[in-house]
Amino acid sequence: LKEPFVRKGDRVEVRLEDDARTMLASLPDLIAASGDAGGRLDYRAHPTDPDAERHYRELLGDSLEEGRERDRATVTMSAAARSIELEEAESWMRVIGEARLVLAARLGIVSDGWEETADPEGNPEMALLTYLGFLQDRLVQVLMPSA
Amino acid sequence: MLQVHHEGRAVVSRGPLEKAELDCYRLHHHGLWATLERG
Repeated sequence: LKEPFVRKGDRVEVRLEDDARTMLASLPDLIAASGDAGGRLDYRAHPTDPDAERHYRELLGDSLEEGRERDRATVTMSAAARSIELEEAESWMRVIGEARLVLAARLGIVSDGWEETADPEGNPEMALLTYLGFLQDRLVQVLMPSA
Repeated sequence: MLQVHHEGRAVVSRGPLEKAELDCYRLHHHGLWATLERG
């Protein structure tokens, strides 16, 4: 696989084929249609303390969900771009991460080491999960301070 | 990160509740699971 992202100063050059861009643009719908993905997108600070959790939610308001919606909108709007800002690349990274959680929930992955027995060629969702893992890893690399 | 990889969890921040909740929010914002425990 060729390098999909190249850091150019304070921007990221995107070297994806059109079908990969179409797939990226579809991720927000995939996530939106998946609810909380079996609890994997239900982030809790105090999972065993309902009162503390309620307090945490009151402090957050809708900021977490609004941020996620903003990220999804960013991906939809910038999926075809040849060059994106670093903040847009961060949105891509987060949306790809959520899509991976959705796919992992669908595939019933609950522990590490699934890659060793995975059959991407026989399962399109497994292939997508594997490819998204690659894209997310490359985005992390170009977003690192040393990039 | 390596500790998370090997053990499934790691302590990434310590401090007063308000700061810990803010750090927790930052991790949640990035799609990472994070919970708080009283020290």
